[in-house]
Amino acid sequence: MCSKRDNGNMPHGINRLDRRAFIKSGVAAGTLATVAGCLGEDPEDEEEFVITLSQFPDTIDPLDHITGDYFDVYDHIYEPLFDFEPGEGIFPRVVEDWEAQGDGTTELSLRDDVVFHNGDDLTAEDVAWTINRTIDPEFGVPSPIGTFGLGSITGAEALDETTVSVQYSASAGLAQFEFGNYARAIDKQWAIDNHDAENDAITGADPEDFNGTGPYEVVDFTSGEEIVLERFDDYWGDEPPFERVVFNADNESSGRVASLETDETDLTINILPEDVDTVENTDGIEIRNVTSFRTIFCPMKNTVAPFDSQEFRQAMNYAVDNEGIVETVLSGFGEPRGQPVSPGINGFNDDIEPYAQDVGQAESLVEESGYGGAEIELQAPQGRYLNDAQVAEQVADQIDQLENVSCDVNIGDFGIVSDANQAGVDPDEFEIPFYMIGWGVITGDTDYGVQGFFTIPDNPNRTFDDEELSDAILESQQIDDPDERREQLEEVNRIAHEKAPFVYLHTQESIYGIREEIQWEPREDETVYIWGMEN
Amino acid sequence: MTTGKFLVRRILQGVVVIWGVVTIMFALRAVSPGDPANLMLAEGASEELIQQVRMEEGLNQPVYVQYLDYVQGMVLGDFGYSWRSNREVEAMVIERIPATVELAVAATIVAIAISIPLGVISATRRNEPADYGATLFSLLGISTPNFWLGLMLILVLGVWAGVFPTGRRPVGLAEAIGTLLQYGYAGDLLTWLKYITLPAITLGTYFTALITRLTRSGMVDELGKPYVTASRAKGLPSVLVRYKHVLRNTMIPIITVLGLQLGTLMGGAVITETVFNWPGLGLRLIDALRIRDWPLMQGIVVFIAIAFVSINIFVDAIYASLDPRVGEE
Repeated sequence: MCSKRDNGNMPHGINRLDRRAFIKSGVAAGTLATVAGCLGEDPEDEEEFVITLSQFPDTIDPLDHITGDYFDVYDHIYEPLFDFEPGEGIFPRVVEDWEAQGDGTTELSLRDDVVFHNGDDLTAEDVAWTINRTIDPEFGVPSPIGTFGLGSITGAEALDETTVSVQYSASAGLAQFEFGNYARAIDKQWAIDNHDAENDAITGADPEDFNGTGPYEVVDFTSGEEIVLERFDDYWGDEPPFERVVFNADNESSGRVASLETDETDLTINILPEDVDTVENTDGIEIRNVTSFRTIFCPMKNTVAPFDSQEFRQAMNYAVDNEGIVETVLSGFGEPRGQPVSPGINGFNDDIEPYAQDVGQAESLVEESGYGGAEIELQAPQGRYLNDAQVAEQVADQIDQLENVSCDVNIGDFGIVSDANQAGVDPDEFEIPFYMIGWGVITGDTDYGVQGFFTIPDNPNRTFDDEELSDAILESQQIDDPDERREQLEEVNRIAHEKAPFVYLHTQESIYGIREEIQWEPREDETVYIWGMEN
Repeated sequence: MTTGKFLVRRILQGVVVIWGVVTIMFALRAVSPGDPANLMLAEGASEELIQQVRMEEGLNQPVYVQYLDYVQGMVLGDFGYSWRSNREVEAMVIERIPATVELAVAATIVAIAISIPLGVISATRRNEPADYGATLFSLLGISTPNFWLGLMLILVLGVWAGVFPTGRRPVGLAEAIGTLLQYGYAGDLLTWLKYITLPAITLGTYFTALITRLTRSGMVDELGKPYVTASRAKGLPSVLVRYKHVLRNTMIPIITVLGLQLGTLMGGAVITETVFNWPGLGLRLIDALRIRDWPLMQGIVVFIAIAFVSINIFVDAIYASLDPRVGEE
C-alpha cells in the first residue's frame, strides 16, 4: 500500500514517482521529460503510509497539548504505557501488571526490555518523573495535561528499576482511568537536556530531538509541514504494519479530501459532512465513521439570571430539536444526547433519553421560572467542532422562536468560548454565561466529563454551582468497587440531566476518509493507531 | 535634495511604517478577546499554572510596559517564542521564507512569460481577434479572485485530470538543485516543478493580466512615436523594431512595476499558500491566526512589512540612480 505522493528527500531513496505519476507529470512538464530515466518504481513505496491531519504538531513535547491530532502522531513515537480500549478499560503494554495497594497507591510493573530511540533503557524513574512533571507546575518542565487528565493523581515514585508507585487522592478505579489513559514515559535525562530554561519548555526541531519508546522513530521533521517515521528496530513489541509513516496536515477539509482523491494521502481525519459524498463517489476510497466520545453542549452558568432557574434551563433544552439538528446540520453524523457523556463511557446512563423538542412545555417552563421575556445570547465558536457555527445558529433560532424568550447568537473565536469556560461562576468574573463547547471524555470515565464543570471544592473554573451534583461526583471519586462506582456515576449523569446545567446537544461522529483496502476501524476516543491497521 | 538625502528620507519613512505596523499588531493583541495565558495552555489548565504563565510571559505587567518590552525585543531582533511550538519566532519565520520566495518568483516568471508576448501581440494587432482575446484574458485575470482560481485549478487539473498534485511542497528548489548537482538526479526538480505549477499560475494570474495591459498600452504609445516611423523608413525589419527598440523602451515602467509587485506578491501568497497548503509564510500566518499564536503572527506580519518596505526602498534607489530628478522632486 502506498500513496502516490512524491517525496523530495533524496537520502530516503530515489523513490518519489511511480510510472503512473510520472506519465501524468510528463503531460504537465513535458520539457523535463528527458529526466524520466532517473525515475522508477521502488518496492519501498508499498511500505509507506501517509496520514493527513488537520493540525500539525509543532512541538517535540508529547505532553505539551491535549489535542487529538498531536496524540495521533506522538503515540507512535512515545507510546502510551497502557492499551486503552474504549468501553473495555486498560490492558498491559509498557506496564505489564498493576495492582492497587489499598492505601491510595497503585504499583505499576514495567517491562524490562523497553528502550528509548536514543538507546537509553526505560526505567521506573523515567515514568515517575513524567507523571510528576504533568501534575506539578513547579516541577521544572511543566505540562498542562495533568490538571484534568491526571486530576486525582498526587505523585509517583520509583520503587526499583521497573516498579512505580502512583499515589492518588481518589479511588483506585478513578486513578486507573486517568493514568491508564494519560501516562506516558519520557526519558528524564533527554527531557532535561532539551529543556529550554528561558522558555520553560522542551524544545527542538530536529528528528533526533524526538525520543520515545514507541514502535516508530522520527527520521525527518519539517516544522509545520511533515513528520516522517520509520519502524524502530529495537522496539520491544510486534512490528507495526508499515515501514514508513508520514504525517502532514491541511487545515481545510476540502484540501484533505482532494489529497485523498488524488492518492497523495492514505487516511485523513475530520472530514466535514458536506465533503462525505465526494469521498463516497470516488473509486478506491471510502468514509469510515464512529460516534466519538466528544459531546457538544451549551453550559448555562446558574449564578446569574435567568439561568439560576432550573425550570428555565430545562426549558432551553425542550426548545431545541437535537434530532433535527443532527439530521440537517450534521447530515446524520451525530447522536442526540441528554447527559454529559456518550455511550461507552463508564457511568453512561442508558435510561436517560435526550430532551425531545416540546415548544409548549418549554414556554410553560419559562413562565414557571418567572423569566418570561428574557433576552439571552449564545456565544459559539467557528471551525472547532463539526459545523459548530451552523449548529449554534439553529440552537439560538429555535430558542428565539419561543414566544417568551429572545435569543441571539454570537459566533466568534474559540478563545472567547475557552475564556468563558475558564472564568468560573462568580458573576463579577465572567461576562458570558451561555456558550457552546465540546468535551471529549478521552479517559473513558464519566468523571473526566463532569468534575471540571460541576465539582465545587478547589475548582474555581467550574461552570455550575450545585451542592447535590458536586457531592454526587465527589462521592463517586471515593468508591473503590467498580460496579458501585459505575452506578454512582450513572446517578451523577441522571442528576446532571435533571438539573440541566447544559443545553445538551449531541455526540459528534468522527469522520475519516481512507483507502478502502486498509483494514482499520475508527475508535471512539478519536485516536488513530497504525498498529491497529492491516494492509 | 541629493539622491543620498532622498534615500535617507525614504529609509526613515520606512522605519516609521514598520513601527506603525508593530504598534498596530501590539494594539490588536491587547484588545483582542481571550487571556493569552489560556491560549498558551490546554483547556482545563489550572489557575495556578495560568498565573505562572502570566508571570513568566509578563502578561501581568501594565500594557505600556508590555509594549516597551515588545518594541525593545523587536529592535534587538528578539521576536519571542511561539505560544504553540515554544520555538523562536525568528527561526519559524526564516525557515518559511524560501517557500514564499520560490512561489513569488515562480509567479513572476509565469507572469512575464505569458504577459509580455501577449501584450506585444495585442498591441501590434490592435482591434483584431488576438487583441480582443488578450483584452478579455486581462479582464478575467484581474477580476478573478485567486482563491477561486486556485480551487478551480485543483478541481480540474488536480482531481479530474490528475495532472498536477493538489497541494503541498515535498521538496524545496534549493534541495532539488542540490540533489541534481550532487547525484545527477532530476526527479526532485521535476517534483518541485510539478508541485509549484498550479500555485504559481494562481498567484501569477492577476500579475499576468496587469503586465499584459501595461505592455499593451506601453507598446501602443511607443509604436506611435516618430523614431518607430524613422526606423521603418530606414528599412529595419518590423520584428526588430518591435522587439529591440519598442519593447525595450516599454520595459522600463514594467520593470518598475515588477519590483513593486514583488512585495504585493508576498501578501497575496497568504491566500494561495492556504489554498494549496504551500508551506510558506502565508500559510504559517494563517495557522498562527487559527490558534491565535500572537508572537508568531506578529513576527510574520512585521517581516512582511519589512520586506515590502525594503523592496520599495530598493526600487526607489534604482530609480533615483537612473533618474536624478526623482531625488530632486
